This record gives sequence, C-alpha cells and structure tokens, in this order.
Amino acid sequence: MTQSPKDVAGAWAAGEAAPGQLNSLAVLLHRMTNRIRRSLELSEILTATVTEVQAFLQTDRVKVYRFHEDGSGEVVAEVIQAGRLPSLLGHNFPAEDIPASARELFLTARQRSIVDITAQQIGVSSLESDRPDAEATLGSDIRFRDVDPCHVEYLTAMGVRSSLVVPILEGESLWGLLVSHHSMPRPISEQELEMVQLISDQVSIAIAQSTLLNQTRQRAAQEATINQIATLLNATPETQLQEAIEKTVQALQGCGGRIYIALPSYQSPQLVTYGAQPVITPADPHPALIEQHPQWRSWLAMEPPIGEDTIWAIADLYSATLPSDLALAFLSIQARSLLIVHLHYRQQPLGYLTIFRREIDTERIWAGQINWSDDRQALPRRSFETWRELKQGQAHQWTAADIALVQALSDHFALAIHQGGLYQQVWTLNADLKRDIQKRKQAEIKISALNAELEQRVLERTNELQQANAELVQQVAERERALLERQQAEASLARLSHQNELILNSAAEGIYGLNSQGQITFANPAAARMLGYEVEELIQQQMHSLLHHAHADGTPYLPEESPIYTTLRDGKVQHRTGDTFCQKDGTHFPVEYVSSPIRECDRIVGAVVLFKDITDRQLVEQMKDEFVSIVSHELRTPLTSIRSTLGLLASGWLNNHPERSQRMLEIASSNTNRLVRLINDILDIERIKFGKVTMEKNLCNAAELMTQSVDVMRAMADKAGIFLAVTTVSVNLWADCDRIIQTLTNLLSNAIKFSPAGSTVWLTAEVLQAPGVPSDPSSEAVPDSSDYILFCVRDQGIGIPGDKLETIFDRFQQVDASTSRSQGGTGLGLTICRGIVQQHGGQIWVESVVGEGSTFCFTLALSEPTSRDSLSHDEANLNY
Amino acid sequence: MTKRILIIDDEPDIREATQVCLEVAKGWQVSTAGSSVEGVKKAMAEQPDAVLLDVMMPDVDGLATLEKLRTDPVTQHIPIVLLTAKAQPADHRRYNQLHVAAVITKPYDPLTLADQIAEIFV
Repeated sequence: MTQSPKDVAGAWAAGEAAPGQLNSLAVLLHRMTNRIRRSLELSEILTATVTEVQAFLQTDRVKVYRFHEDGSGEVVAEVIQAGRLPSLLGHNFPAEDIPASARELFLTARQRSIVDITAQQIGVSSLESDRPDAEATLGSDIRFRDVDPCHVEYLTAMGVRSSLVVPILEGESLWGLLVSHHSMPRPISEQELEMVQLISDQVSIAIAQSTLLNQTRQRAAQEATINQIATLLNATPETQLQEAIEKTVQALQGCGGRIYIALPSYQSPQLVTYGAQPVITPADPHPALIEQHPQWRSWLAMEPPIGEDTIWAIADLYSATLPSDLALAFLSIQARSLLIVHLHYRQQPLGYLTIFRREIDTERIWAGQINWSDDRQALPRRSFETWRELKQGQAHQWTAADIALVQALSDHFALAIHQGGLYQQVWTLNADLKRDIQKRKQAEIKISALNAELEQRVLERTNELQQANAELVQQVAERERALLERQQAEASLARLSHQNELILNSAAEGIYGLNSQGQITFANPAAARMLGYEVEELIQQQMHSLLHHAHADGTPYLPEESPIYTTLRDGKVQHRTGDTFCQKDGTHFPVEYVSSPIRECDRIVGAVVLFKDITDRQLVEQMKDEFVSIVSHELRTPLTSIRSTLGLLASGWLNNHPERSQRMLEIASSNTNRLVRLINDILDIERIKFGKVTMEKNLCNAAELMTQSVDVMRAMADKAGIFLAVTTVSVNLWADCDRIIQTLTNLLSNAIKFSPAGSTVWLTAEVLQAPGVPSDPSSEAVPDSSDYILFCVRDQGIGIPGDKLETIFDRFQQVDASTSRSQGGTGLGLTICRGIVQQHGGQIWVESVVGEGSTFCFTLALSEPTSRDSLSHDEANLNY
Repeated sequence: MTKRILIIDDEPDIREATQVCLEVAKGWQVSTAGSSVEGVKKAMAEQPDAVLLDVMMPDVDGLATLEKLRTDPVTQHIPIVLLTAKAQPADHRRYNQLHVAAVITKPYDPLTLADQIAEIFV
C-alpha cells in the first residue's frame, strides 16, 4: 500500500513513525527526490521542490528564497495553500532581512531554524560540521531558544505563526533557503526537519546540476555566439567585421560598438562601427577618432585592466575615471557603460574593440516598501505589501559572462583582424599583383596590340614593300621590256633608219623633204645626184628658187602655182609628169614627181617629194613612138599603094587604060608581097623577142644548110649579077635548120642587095675551138669548151659606116632605106637574124669597110648548148 | 583650069598610083619627084598649084623640104599638102602647127583624094 506524503508526514509529525513508516519515508523521499531530479530546469526543480515539501508538511506556504550577490534575495518558487498567506513569489527582500551573520550561519553551520511564534521559540539545528562527506547527517537535537522579538515581529507582520528554514547550498556558497510558512502554529518534528533537510540536499544537488546545465547552456550559447561571430570573422576571406561587431553588440546587449584597427600594413587606421558613435567635440584639436586621442591612450595606460587581460569594463561612465571629454563623447550618444578590449595578436597591437551600452531602467518587486534612507530600516517591517521599485537611468553592468564573452570574441577579432591584415596584405599584394598582372596583361594586351599593330604594319609594310617590289619588279620588267623594246625599237629604228637610209641612198628616185616654208630639210643622194648637188648643199635651201620648177615646155612655175606648194598649202598629193627641174649647172631635165604632205597632228608641217629623171623614159617613149610611127609608116606605105591602085581599078576609071590598069595591078601585087613580108618579119621579130618561137633543134649538117641557102638565093643573085661563092664544112650541129637557112638567106639577100653587079658574095664556114672565137665586146655570152662553127657572108658592096655597125641589127635601121626598099627590104632582116642566132646561143656581128664591103658573121655551137648557154641566150634576148 | 600638082615621095609606087589617080580623076597635070632635092627643084621650076609632100623620106624628110619651100620666095606661096603615113596624134599635132594646106593620111582613098586636094583651091 502506497502512502501519500501527507500520510507519511502526519505520522512523522506525530513522532509515531514506525519502522515501516520509516521505510515509507525513504520511499517518499526517494519519490520526491526523483521528482525533483526529474528535470534539470531550475524552475521545475524548485517548483517540484516546493510542491513536494508543501505536500509533505501541509503548511500554508512553501517557498524557495534565493540570495543575490548583494545579500538580498527573491522568492523564486512558491506554493501557497488555501490562500491563508499571501503569495510572495517574485518578491525581493533586502539583505538586511537576513543579516550577513545569519547567512553565515546558514552557510557554515548549515543551520536550520524552526520558529514557533506562538511559543516565542526558535529551534535551531545545525548539521555536524565535522563530517567531511557531503551527505551530512542531521543533528540529533534541536535546541530551542527564545526567538528575537524583531524576528517575531517580522514573521508576524508576514502573518506567519510557524516557520521552517533550511539552507540550500551550492557548493561552498549559500544559494538560498527552503522556507515553510504556516499561518497557524505548526510544530516541526525532527523527522520532518530531517526530511526537509534531505530534500534541501537533493535540491542543492539538483540546483548544482541545473546550475551546471545552465552554465553549460550559457557556455554553449556563448560559444554559439562566439562561433557565429567567429564564423563571420573567418567565413570569408574578407573579414565581416561589420556584421561581427553587430552580432557582438547584440550579444552583449550593447547599443553600439566599434573596432578601431591600426595595422602597420594599413595606410590609415580603419574603424568599423555599429550604432551611434561617440564624437569628440569639433573644437578638440586632437584627432577625431577617440582611439587616437591621447587621453584615451593615457587613460588606458593608467587604468589597470581586468585581470591579466587587456579589458577595461566601465560600468558607469558617470562614475568612471575616464577623461571627461571622452566620457562626454559617449554620454552624448546615451552610452553609459563601456567595454574596451585591447586587441592584439601575440605581441602585436591591433587596435581596440569597444562596446558600449545604454543606461537601463530596472524594476524590482519588494515585499514591503523600503525606505533606504530610513534609519529605522534596521527594524522589522510592518508590512509586506508588494512594492514595485522602478529605477531609471541605471548603468547596465558588465557581467563576468560578458567579460568572458568579449574576451573570447576579442581573440577571434584579433585573429580575424590579424588575418584580415594579412589578408589585406595578401589582398594588397594580390591587388598589387592583380594590378601588376592587370598592368602586365594590359601591357601584354598593349604589347599584343602593338605587336598586332606592328605585325599589321609590318604586314602592310611588307605588302606595300612586296607590292612596291612587285611594282618595282614590274616597273623594272616594264622598263627592261621598254628598254628592250626601246632597244629593239632603236635597233629597228636604226635598222629602219639604216634601211631607210639604204633605201633612200639606194633609191634611184630622188627624194627630198620640205618644211612648211618650202625649205629642203633632207635629200637623198639620188636627188642630189640628179640635181647635181651634194646633199649638204641642198639642205635649208629654198626649193623653188633652187630647182626652178618649170612646166614641160620650160615655162617656169610661179611659186604659188607650183604643185609642190599646193601640197604644202592644201595637203593634196600632186603627181606630175614632164615638169622640169633645174640642175646645178643650169640644165633642166624632165621629171616625174609625187609630192605628198607630211602631217603631224593633222597639221601640214611639210612635204616629201619623190622624183625621178624621166629623160631616158621620154627617150624610150620617143623611140617607141618613133618605132610605132615607123611601123605605121612601113605598113601604110605599101598599103597606100595597094589601096590606091586597087581603088583606081575598082573605080573603073582605068577601064580604058589597060596598060595603066596592068601597071596598077603590078604595083598592088608587089606591095601586097611587101606587106606580107613586112608583116611576117614583124611577127617573127615579136615572136622571137618574146620567146614564142621555139627553136626546134636537130642534128643538122652545116654543108647542107649552106647549100640549101645558096640555092634559095641563087635566082636573086643571078638577077643582080652577083656571083655566089660557097665554102662548106661538113660538120653536124644542133640547130633549127629552117631558122639557120633563114638567117643565111637574109644575110645573103642583104649582101646581094647592096653589092654591085659582077661582084661576089662569099658564104664560108669553119669550125673553131671555143678560145678562138672572136670576142664580141657587146656580148656577155661565154662559150664553153665545145667547138663552134663560124658562118660568114662577105660581100664587096658599099660597106657600112662605122657609126652604124652597132645599130645595123636594130629594127628598121637601114643604111639606105630607099635602096633597101627598092630591094624589097623591110628593115627587119638583120634584127631577125640576130634573134635566131642568139636563140641558138650564138653570136652575130658585122665587120665592114665603107667602099670595100662587109662581112656578116655568126657562130653556132656544134653540140647541144648547155643550160648556161641557154641562159646566156635568154639574157641576149633582152638586147633587142 | 587645069591644076598642076607636084608629088614629092620617095616611094615610086605611091608616086605613080597617086599621079594616075589625080590625072584620071581631075585631069590635073601631075609631076613627081622621088626625093626632097628633086622635089624642091621641080617646085621652083614648075611653080605648081600645089605640092603633095611625103613627110617621111630618107636623107631630107618632108618637113625639111617644107621648110625649104617655105623659105624660098619662089615656092613659099605654093600650097603644100602633106601626105603622111605617120598618123599618130602627136604627128598630127605637129602638122597642125605647120600651117599647111592639108594633111592627108596614107592610105588615102583614091576616089576622094582629088576632091580633098581640090578644096584647097576653093
């Protein structure tokens, strides 16, 4: 059967606890202890404690009173039953209520008191102090004595008739009291006392555990704060001092804070602040920063820090020894408390961490109003009515935890600042390095750009050079080509000039040039030769006055009428034939000329005149005209006779004149024969001349040819009384037999015609070796080594004058035409003979003495003529 | 009135045929000469009404003969008719400058020759 604390307490209070009940008390204590220790939370522990104790003692009020450091105390747990006593929970009691001596006894003697107001007795029971173990045993007796009247008055004022007080210790210090009040007299047995004492001991243990827990929690919270701030300080490369100071200020419940950092690596001190900051009065000549103020430093030097640390905690600036200027600077921002930490890393000072707090208002509930200035305060109070004491503008004291916290944080700050300094140095170095790198990169970029630009320039320059080089090469090539072309042109020009010079020099025609004024600018040798001058004599001479340009009939041209001036004036090409130029010796000669303008840029700058002496041509033309005239005459002459005679016969006018008619017929017939011969001879000559007659050469016998020729001419010779003497040579030769006979008969005929009657005409032939062939100066034919036959016809006629020996073979060149015609000659016989002989590669000539006779000779090759002979013969044809 | 005509020509056949032609056609008295010398002599001697003068003759040609006849006061008034077988245009140009009575080109028509000569007497 389980007993309640009340039952156990009732039995215990009655002193009637049997052994079974003691066992029950142990169980109860065990249960109560378990409940108290169930939680580590102090409030729960205390609540459980007062609840269990009240349940055990059944008193009106059970409370736990906790001492403050200043000796005052506060009811921190309470259980009230039935409302017989007012609640004092949360109420404070001044230190005087429990004097120091009493507190000393509670601590040292573990004194417990039982006050019975009714009996005016107080029972005091001390623990045995000689027992060293914590589990002290209760004393066996309670010594009662009279209670102090003040004490009685005090309790009575509280409405308490019975009181039990057991100290609660925490280690070696008095933590508080476990108090039971009862409004009615209530005796406390020793067992109850022992029970409460045991509970108090358990509570002490629980409080110790709770305190340890709280300390642990507080430490943990502090460490968390430290960790949080340390994390901020160490989380990033750049220390988050601003946030760290904020967190620090918040952790320390400050209104502001600042970190003054003066590192050698910094050019100037840095200040990190949070909250309102103290400002030194502007009139102060010293630096604006407090930390740099000499009074600050001197004060810190003079003011001993807390412990060995360099921490200065100023709880109240009003009462501090801080110089007034500095204090006013803080007070001006409602700061009341200062916590100054000298930051250093090892021996290196880093700066200051300063946390400042505002003043605060405090409220405290007192059990009964206390007049602190009342001298009677030593007397017990008459009333414990709740009195709220409100204090404004109180300094917010720094606790040890605060100091510990800031101490711990200062290390982190110092380390962080040091690291920050290092980081700053590193950053500065990095920045410098980056800057250097940046500069270097920029320099490299610039260099790259310069290089690129340089390369570009080099490239462009190279391209330009290459292009220039190419152009130069091209120009050189072009120049070389031009030079070559020029050289070629010059060579061509020289060649051309030379050719032109050769042409001009070789030209048979005269060529001279005139400028626009009619002055001779150049002349070729032919022109100079034809004009009878040296070339140099012609240059710069006035053409017209020099040449005396005249018409064909000799009429001189007026200068303005000269066709050459017409060319100079009008640019018209003039072609004239027959005009005359005057030679140096004054003789005129006929010329054919062409004057052409020399144009330069459509402007006539001169004229070139090409002329030739046409004297020979005119002579040839004259000869041609004469030849035609002769031929015409020779043809018309027999034709005239024929036409006249036949006309008369045909008219019938001679019908009555038969003799005349017969005579007319004879004349007609004779002239018809003459005309036929003439025509045949002319045709023969022309045909032989133009090679139309082919000499059909066969192997002929010279003697036969001579015989046949003589036979043909025998009748004519007989009629003329001429004796023909023939000396033949029987030798074969390659010849056209008929043409050789024609030649021989022609020569015999001429010899007969021009020989007097009774004379002899000789026909002879002989074979000659080539060297023996009489030379013919006029012949270019060169006989080869073959043998030749020489035919000769010699007469005793009138002979031929020497001046006619050369022309006797020309056409119609008769020594005596009348005689010839009378003999039926056409004047073409010798010409035909020469053609036939030359066609055979032979030569023909005449030797004559006037009055003695003539000898006509010609040669023929015995063998077939060589090609050279033919060539010579062909060339000979040109001599007709 | 019967005209007296002198023919100077080195061609005997032409002389003879022309003489016959003139004598038969007009009944004129015709004498002939075979050379210039002979002709000039006859002209001076006979004072014919006209001289038919061949241009192309050996030794002294007709033009020289003409000059002689012209320069001699005895014969210079006698009309001269040139008979010529040289009938090139250049020849005619030259003849025209001689101021002869007529120029008759060989071979002439025997039936009209007398008429041609007769015209100079008109």
